[in-house]
Parts: sequence; structure tokens; C-alpha cells
Amino acid sequence: MDFFDRFAIPHPSPIIYASMVAIGLTVIAIVAGLTYFKKWGYLWREWITTVDHKRIGIMYLLSALLMLFRGGVDALMMRAQTAVPENTLLEAQHYNEIFTTHGVVMIIFMAMAFIIALMNFVVPLQIGARDVAFPRLNNLSFWLYFMGAMLFNLSFVIGGSPSAGWTSYFPLAGNEFSESVGTNYYMLAIQISGIGTLMTGINFIATILKMRAPGMTLMKMPMFTWSALITNLIIVFAFPVLTVALAMGTMDRLFGSNFFTTSDGGMDMLWANLFWVWGHPEVYILILPAFGIYSEIIPTFARRNLYGYKSMVASMVLISLLSFFVWVHHFFTMGQGALVNSIFSISTMAIAVPTGIKIFNWLFTLWKGKIKITVPMLYSLGFLPIFTIGGVTGVMLGMSAADYQYHNTMFLVAHFHLVIIPGVVFAMIAGMTYWWPKMFGFMLNERIGKWTFWFIAGGTCLAFFPMFISGLDGQARRMYTYSEATGFGIWNMLSFIGALGLAAGFILIVYNVYYSTRYASRDIGDDPWDARSLEWATHNPVPEYNFAITPQVNSSEAFWDSKKNGHKLFKGPFKEIHMPNNSGMPFIMSILFFVLGFALVFSLWIVAIISLIGVFACLAHRSFEKDHGYHISVEEIEKTEAERGGAEHENR
Amino acid sequence: MKELFPRKQVMGFVFSLVLTAAALLVYFLDMSFAVGMTVLLVTAFIQAGLQFIVFMHAGETEDKGLIFTNIYYGLIIALVTVFGTLLAMVWGYV
Amino acid sequence: MKTDNTMPLEYKTEQSRLNIFGFWIFLGAEIMLFGTLFASYFTLEGRTGSGPTGAEIFEITPVLVETFLLLTSSFTIGLGVHAMRIANKKAMLAFFSITLILGLGFLGFEIFEFIHYVHEGAGLQASAFTSILLTTLGTHGAHVTFGLFWGLFIILQVKKRGLTPETANKSFIFSLYWHFLDVVWIFIFSFIYLKGMM
Repeated sequence: MDFFDRFAIPHPSPIIYASMVAIGLTVIAIVAGLTYFKKWGYLWREWITTVDHKRIGIMYLLSALLMLFRGGVDALMMRAQTAVPENTLLEAQHYNEIFTTHGVVMIIFMAMAFIIALMNFVVPLQIGARDVAFPRLNNLSFWLYFMGAMLFNLSFVIGGSPSAGWTSYFPLAGNEFSESVGTNYYMLAIQISGIGTLMTGINFIATILKMRAPGMTLMKMPMFTWSALITNLIIVFAFPVLTVALAMGTMDRLFGSNFFTTSDGGMDMLWANLFWVWGHPEVYILILPAFGIYSEIIPTFARRNLYGYKSMVASMVLISLLSFFVWVHHFFTMGQGALVNSIFSISTMAIAVPTGIKIFNWLFTLWKGKIKITVPMLYSLGFLPIFTIGGVTGVMLGMSAADYQYHNTMFLVAHFHLVIIPGVVFAMIAGMTYWWPKMFGFMLNERIGKWTFWFIAGGTCLAFFPMFISGLDGQARRMYTYSEATGFGIWNMLSFIGALGLAAGFILIVYNVYYSTRYASRDIGDDPWDARSLEWATHNPVPEYNFAITPQVNSSEAFWDSKKNGHKLFKGPFKEIHMPNNSGMPFIMSILFFVLGFALVFSLWIVAIISLIGVFACLAHRSFEKDHGYHISVEEIEKTEAERGGAEHENR
Repeated sequence: MKELFPRKQVMGFVFSLVLTAAALLVYFLDMSFAVGMTVLLVTAFIQAGLQFIVFMHAGETEDKGLIFTNIYYGLIIALVTVFGTLLAMVWGYV
Repeated sequence: MKTDNTMPLEYKTEQSRLNIFGFWIFLGAEIMLFGTLFASYFTLEGRTGSGPTGAEIFEITPVLVETFLLLTSSFTIGLGVHAMRIANKKAMLAFFSITLILGLGFLGFEIFEFIHYVHEGAGLQASAFTSILLTTLGTHGAHVTFGLFWGLFIILQVKKRGLTPETANKSFIFSLYWHFLDVVWIFIFSFIYLKGMM
């Protein structure tokens, strides 16, 4: 039995056992349901093996929502535990595990997946392309991300969750202080999904730079595409750093190397350094696509073109470079001298300048616009003030001398949640609502959507503003409890109420999806928002080839010009379209990666070696494979176009 | 036979051997650290450039601008990472 | 599929131009990967704990042989691509094979060098310095090993299928990879070995 002992949870509790049962029942229900309705073949052919960027985008979206709920439950439990002083709802270890998984799940598996979901769905449509540059690689990216996410979540029921914080600082994350396999899960799961993300980065840079519709020069790209380009540029140069850091951390834990140990010359601070060399650009990887989404939504509903297109682009390019120059501000208190801190303090404050430019550009776009308050617009309007408050407190934290007071307190927690929630989460919900009709052919209910917004925006403010106060009063982050005499109780109780408000908002989102799926009208046309960019110029639902004829572009708002100024988007007759084949190999390879990761977590060397050989066998198979895709004939295109298009499309 | 050995590539190879030999001087001659590092930096970066341009044909297509931007960007970020790390982890401790 | 006859075979289709461009982006990521390893190496270089220092374990002879082998292999694969462009399949295969043999020789010397280090007490666990040294060299060595298999597959495919736009494209991308490994080695040679022995 010794062999099986390692799979046990080190600190079990009734909550974990209940979750185990729930997970088991869900899996059985899904398997039984798929078998009963005979959907296995459909699932395999249409989704698992798909190379269609739209379907991959939707799979990312579903995974991101799933992870949002996992991370959200973690957050609720944290707020519940700290709602009153000396609470005994959770034990210290359990609390540590929860704040660790909350951070990792929300950043790596929720926010990243959400931005990649929207990029996948929208970018090829916005640039008038048929798919991404490497469709099969795109499928592999998704499955690597998904398997990484599943591996990470498995830690909850097999072997124990990581508990060294989402930053996993050594020596705490070393074998000596983190004895369970939890941190192995952290290292390997993030590694696997990080490889997928890196491939996404390469894929999208090639797509955006090389596959734009004729006439779409760089300076005529829609702003969301610009933000996706810059984001992927940062991904490509930041993720290798994480790869190396995680590999070194894994070796320290599994092979006894001495990178981050406290003996034999090891340097624990190097982990923090490398982590943030990746980690700070990561912040911009998350926020730039959000900026891109707002830059699409605000002009659409202010009925004006985006103010300051060139300065928007310039500020993003500047942010992409500067984001690599500021990472030390995450550990001002670690002991480097005043000179180093001053340098990074200044570069940190410099990055507020391009961000400020963007805020003013959005404000000027709204100025004298005919503003239409829709759900996506509501989130964009809510974003501006809340994000600005979160942002300026960031400048406070960026001053190295003052940082000694704020560092590692709830003030910091308030700051980064108040940038990341209005910045990323609002943008994702806004983007989801905005592009939902393109994805699924109906709109989400506006009334429920507005209620949702007020719950989420109000919940965010109530949950995080009190933390500024308790943080300045000295409440450290990551403390599982505190005494009554500290006086933190009232602030934490307010936070808890705010968290409940957020939870109610997220439940409303689910209800909205359910309600709209059942009752929303399917007769909404191709362009329900009266929008401006190319993704709205094709049918609803989007045909697999996106555009029957590649559009001709004349400006950054080509579709608007075609509607209002008589620009002709689609010229010429239908031609045969070449499409890539679906493939099951990426899925099989990702399963092998999953097994490899699991085997390494538990030091099952033979399994690890076999699955690694399997991975290489898949690569070899790919090298020898001949795959030339298939063609869609003109007759088929005519048929699809006639089915989906109304009178409007006949003259194309 | 001659057409298999284009002049440009042969010259590139000879030049990289010469640069390697020049770098070796830091081993065989007694130099100060600063001079030695300067020699190594110069020879290494010239050799890297040689590989990219002569052997990898980085500048042969219309994507030239994009490819060089990509490499320079990577290089700048890599150098920032190296020197920033040294600054924060080694030199900055007083 | 769009074709362009003014370009060499490997650039002929739209997809093959995308493949080459995408691989360049990947090389950008590789620059960062090795950049991070170098950053860590320079940080941990002096932290030898109770283990040996670089000056104590580095030996010039095997390093010189390795450098010469890899440099030459980079030259021969360049000739291979040139032969491919003048449609001389036989010469191309010969040059690619020589490249792989030189690569194999490099790997042999590197393994020999690693065994030597372990005998000197410079194993992975000895100190922060030996950990990062072996990891940096090992990452490069793993790339070379991967390249050997990849190159072998390319040779087999060119042999069987001839020089088509597809095989030419794969061969060219492989050559980019191989040259890049040489670039990395130049930095390892200069800033790990020579700097360490200076």
C-alpha cells in the first residue's frame, strides 16, 4: 500500500471529501450523458479534433468560465474565513491552499484562457482571414492549456494542492517547507499550459502580420487586433522566462539541484526575480487585450470613431517594451540597494504615462458621442473610474520608499484586484456579451445583463475598497485569521459582503446564458450592434470559411465605410477555398503531456519516460505526415451563402 | 564541384574561424577582465550576426524588416533581462 | 494555393512562407529562453558553495573540439541549403548527412565532458553553479539531440519524396534551427567557457 499512500490528501477535510464526491458524480454524469445521447462521435469530430479558430475560441471560453467558478469559489471561501476575527471555518493549511489555487487558477487558467478565447474567435474575422496561420498548432495550444488546467485541478483530490502562494516563492516552495506534491503540480501544470500559450503567441503573430486582408496595412488594423498583436509579442518573449524558471524549480524539487535552495550557493531570490521577469509582462498580456476590447466597444456605442488611433498604437508598443523594464518593483523590500530600487521605481512610474494616454483617448471618444447604454458599454463606462483608482494606487506602490509600508498588505491586494477586475474581468464579460451574437447567433438578455453589471461593479467596489484601509492599518495579506483587537473585522466583513455581491453577479451571468438560450430571438441579422469592423460583415452563424470572398479594406473601420460611405468590401466571383483538415494528434499528444506531468509530480519515472517517448513519437508522426487539407467547391459556397445570407448578400 | 561551395558561405566560415581564434586570445594571453570581456563581446556578437545574415538568409525576403525587428526585440529584452537580473541580484547589493 | 516562382522552392506556397516566418518568431522565443539561462548563469556563477569553480573543471581541448565540430556543421548545412537551391539533391543529402555526423560528434564530446564533470564532483546537486552550468549546457545539448532526430527525418523524407516545395520548406526550417544552435554555442563558448577560464 505504500505506493498508493502518496496519492492521499495530506490535510483532508469534509469539504474536500464532499468535493471529491461531487467531482466523481459530475464525471459519471457527463460520461453517461454523452453515451446515452450518442454524442461521443460528434464531440470527437466537431470539437476535440477541430482546427477551426471559432470553435477553439468557444472551447477556450467554456474552459475559462469553468475556471472562473473554481477560482471564484476559492475566493468566496477566503472571504468567508476572514469575515470575522478568529474564525475557524478553515484551517491554516487549507487557507494557504485556497489562496494559492485562487491566484493560479484566476491568472493562468481563467484570465489567460478568456483573452485567448476572444482573440481566437475575433482576430481572424477582424483581419478578413480564413483561419489562423497554423490551425493545427492552435488546436494543440488549446489542449495543452486544458490538460495543464486539469492537471492543476487534480491536485485538489489527488496528492494535495500547492500552498506556497501563486508566486510560489522559494525557499517556502522548496521540498523542506512544502512537503506535499502540491508544488510539483504547480510547476508542471503551469509549464504544460505555458507551452500551449507560447505556441498561441507565435501563431497569432504570424497570423496578424502575414494574413491580413488586402488593403489592411498595419495602421488600418482594428484596435483589438493591434492589442492582440502586441499581447502575443509579449507572450513570445515573456513565457520562455517562465519556462526556464519552472524547469529550475522542478529540478530543485525532483532532482535535488541547488538553484533556489538556501545551501550550496543556491539563491532563493533568483526565483522571485525570474518569476517577475515573466510576471510583470504577464500583467500586460492580460490587460492589453482588455484595452483592445474597450477600444472596440466604446466607438461602437458612442457612435464615433476611436479618438487618437495612432497614439493608441504608440502607447501599446511603448507598454510592450516598458513592461519588461519594471519587474523589480514586485520585490522592492528584498534588500537590493536604493539605486536599483530608484531605477525600477522610475521605470514603473513611466509606464503610467502610456496607460494614461489611453484613458484620455477613451474619454475623448466618449466626448460629444451619442452614447448608447448597452451591457458592453456599461462595463466599459464602469471600467474607466474603477480602473483609474486601481491604477493610481499602483503608482503609490511603485514608489519604492513608500512601498515598504504597503508591501504584502491588503493594500496591495486591493490595488491589483481593482486593476485586474475592471481591467480584465469587466472587459471579458463585455467582450463576451458583445461578440456573443457572432459566436452563437443570439444576444444575451440586456435587462439581466444590466442587473449583472450592477452586482459585479458594486460587489467589486465593496469587496476591495475596504482592503485599502485595513491594509494601511497593517493587515498583512495571506493571513488566515486575525484577532479582534486589530479592528480589521469590520473591513473584512464588508469585503465578504462585496464578495457575495460578485458571486450573485456571476450566478446571474449563468442564468442569463440559460435564459437567452431559451428565449432570445434568433432573428438578429449579421450586425445587431451596428458595429464598425470586419467580423460583423460575415454571416450569423459564421460559415466555416469565414468570408466567401476575401474583403477589400480601405480603412480601420472598413465595415462602417461599406455601410455608410459605399465602400465595396467583397469584389469578384466565388473561388474554391482551401481548408485545413481536422486532426486528433494534438489531443493525443496533450493527453501524453498530461500523463507525463502527472508521472513527474509523483516521481513515477517509468511512466514519465514512456509518455515522453510518446510525445516525441507524435512529433515524428507529424514530421512524416502528408496533410494537404481539402477544398470547398464554388457550388458548396454558393449554397451556404444562399442559405445564410438574405437579399443583402446577393449582389456581392 | 565549385558551384557547391559558394564564395559567400566559404568566406563566412573562414571569418567565423578567425573570430573564434581571436576570442581564444583571452585564454592564451594575459588580459585584464575588462579587455577580455570586450574582446569576447565583440567577437561573439559579430559571429552571431554572421550566422544570421550569411547562413540563415535573414534578409532575403520581403519579411526582412519583420524578422530583424523580431530578433532585435528579442535581443534587447534578453539583454535587459540579463543586466537587470545582475543589477538586482548581484551588483545592487550594498 | 498561391505559388510564387520568383522565390526559392522552400518559399513557394503561402503556407510555407508562413511556416518560415513562424519559425523565426519561435527563434525569438528561443533567444529569450537562452537569455534567461544566461541571466541565471551569471547570477549563480560565483556561488559555488562547497563545489568546484568553473576554472577548476573547464578544459580547453574538448571545448575547442566541440566548437570546431559545431561551427563546421553549421557551415555544411549552409552548403546543404545552397545545394538544395541549385536543385542538386545528391549533394544536399550528402551535406545534411555530414552535418548530422558532426552534430553526433559534438554530442559525443559533450557527454564525455559531462561524465568528466561528475567525476570531478561537479554533478547537478553539487552547488548552484554546477546546477546552472549543467542545465544551460544540457538545454543546448538537448536541442542538438532533438535536432539530430529531426534532421534524420528530413533526410529520409527528401530521399523518398524528392525535392518538393514541402520537403524543401522543412529542410530550410531545419537549417534555421541548426544555425541557431550554433549561435547559442558561440555565446556558451565565449561567456561560459572562455570567461570562466580567463
